[in-house]
Amino acid sequence: MSALLKAELIKLRTTRTFLALTGVALFISGLLVVLVSSLTEPTEESVLVDVFVSDASSLFILILAVVGITGEWRHRTITSSLLAAPDRVRFLASKLLAFAAAGALLSVLVSIMVTILGVAILTFRDLPLPEAGELIAQYARNAMVAALLGAFGVGLGALVRNQVVAVVGLLLITLAIEPTLQALAPNVGRYGPFSSLPTAAIDVPAEDAGLPPDLDLLSPGLAILALLGWITAAFAAGAALLRARDLT
Amino acid sequence: MIAIESLSKRFGKVNAVTDLSFEVHPGRVTGFLGPNGAGKTTTLRMLLGLIHASAGTATIDGRRYEQLEHPSGQVGVVLEESSFHPGRSGRNHLRVLAAAGRHPDSRIPDVLEQVGLTPAAGRRVKGYSMGMRQRLAIAAALLGDPEVLILDEPANGLDPPGIRWMRDLLREQAARGRTVLVSSHLLSEVAQSVDDVVVISRGVLRASGTLEQVLGSEDGPVARFRSADDDRLAGALQQRGVNVEREGTGALIARGTEPALVGQVAAEQQIALVELVAQARSLEDAFFALTEVPE
Repeated sequence: MSALLKAELIKLRTTRTFLALTGVALFISGLLVVLVSSLTEPTEESVLVDVFVSDASSLFILILAVVGITGEWRHRTITSSLLAAPDRVRFLASKLLAFAAAGALLSVLVSIMVTILGVAILTFRDLPLPEAGELIAQYARNAMVAALLGAFGVGLGALVRNQVVAVVGLLLITLAIEPTLQALAPNVGRYGPFSSLPTAAIDVPAEDAGLPPDLDLLSPGLAILALLGWITAAFAAGAALLRARDLT
Repeated sequence: MIAIESLSKRFGKVNAVTDLSFEVHPGRVTGFLGPNGAGKTTTLRMLLGLIHASAGTATIDGRRYEQLEHPSGQVGVVLEESSFHPGRSGRNHLRVLAAAGRHPDSRIPDVLEQVGLTPAAGRRVKGYSMGMRQRLAIAAALLGDPEVLILDEPANGLDPPGIRWMRDLLREQAARGRTVLVSSHLLSEVAQSVDDVVVISRGVLRASGTLEQVLGSEDGPVARFRSADDDRLAGALQQRGVNVEREGTGALIARGTEPALVGQVAAEQQIALVELVAQARSLEDAFFALTEVPE
């Protein structure tokens, strides 16, 4: 498994997609923290959530993972991958671990940048800063959720071979279907894996994450368990499909 | 050794491969021949565990590919539609495969040198010509220094010097005692490098054996003749070691024999020749005869 994981990490490092999406995630997160810390006046109680959860890595790691697994079909590298590692479930598991690691790394990079920019601007404006312990705990939650979403993206991508369909479908569900469910059927929407569960898992109130204020989010622990359930289901279905498929 | 036993594959209503059996032996280059759509790629992909067989088995040294202890170290593969991420360099493509296949990174410069891609190794694959991609695929197959090589249409995209290089590579690998299976839809591409051939058409085995057994010798002359006393002339020729057969039309065929020799023996025996022609039957003709199936 370690050899396959190493191969997957080399794959990630040796194309421009990971660098490009990391750059975009850093740019958007940086822009958000600069705008929020420059234009608002956060209090001691609100500064952690208002300024330091400006982490846009979740959506990007989801896209990156979906692109990563569907790219194997698009570029037909799935053939050489499975010739090197004929056990298809192990192949998928190693990809899942690689993208979980990539998600955590991306989140850590975003956190470092958010910290530098946020602390600099808030200090310059003589506004309160969050406690270091709280900040580190928040970043750890962010990194864990990014890792979970990276893993979830691989499971989702394994279900749909067509890259364009997979990415468009992901955006459609994330930006339209889940928000609709949150608004119209909140009891169902609270289990959504793209924004409801991640928001609950990083312990941020719904309204601060742009979700409907009356959405009753799960507790962080339950949200993580629910996300793990989604990952397990997506991985099991993706692995079953991959095992059954003929690579013609 | 590669063993294909009663292998079949059905895609919906289409029988892609039907009850196919043959063996590929170490130290020999075996050509796997058939027209496009004959089922060659499907067979090779079943052998490599990429396509699930509907029936039968395909094994390498007695095991299915996925059961091999170190698959990419034991079997090197070039498939017809070689796959690369266009944004990755040739060297990085090999780094990925070396890591996944547990081959030392030190093999990468060796195989790049072997296929003549060292100067282009740092370039992204999307800038490679078709021939360069094919060489990269061959480099990947050689990473594990495998005992078995399986190549699907390896000459595609190669220029004439590349094709010659490929032939030399195949011969060199077989000379080292390795098992080499190479598929092609063009007999001329492989005729000079194979020892054995397996011919399929429409998923069905048409013939297998040594090249000469199956397709005859390209260089050997064939004389076709009739005479006033066929039996006596055939006997005289056979005394000189000439193999004589009777054709369906009634004419006699002497393989590996110049017509001049038949004429000379007929003169010596004072037998009048009614017909004597040099029969041209090229390897390609024999190949087409085997693979053409009436509609």
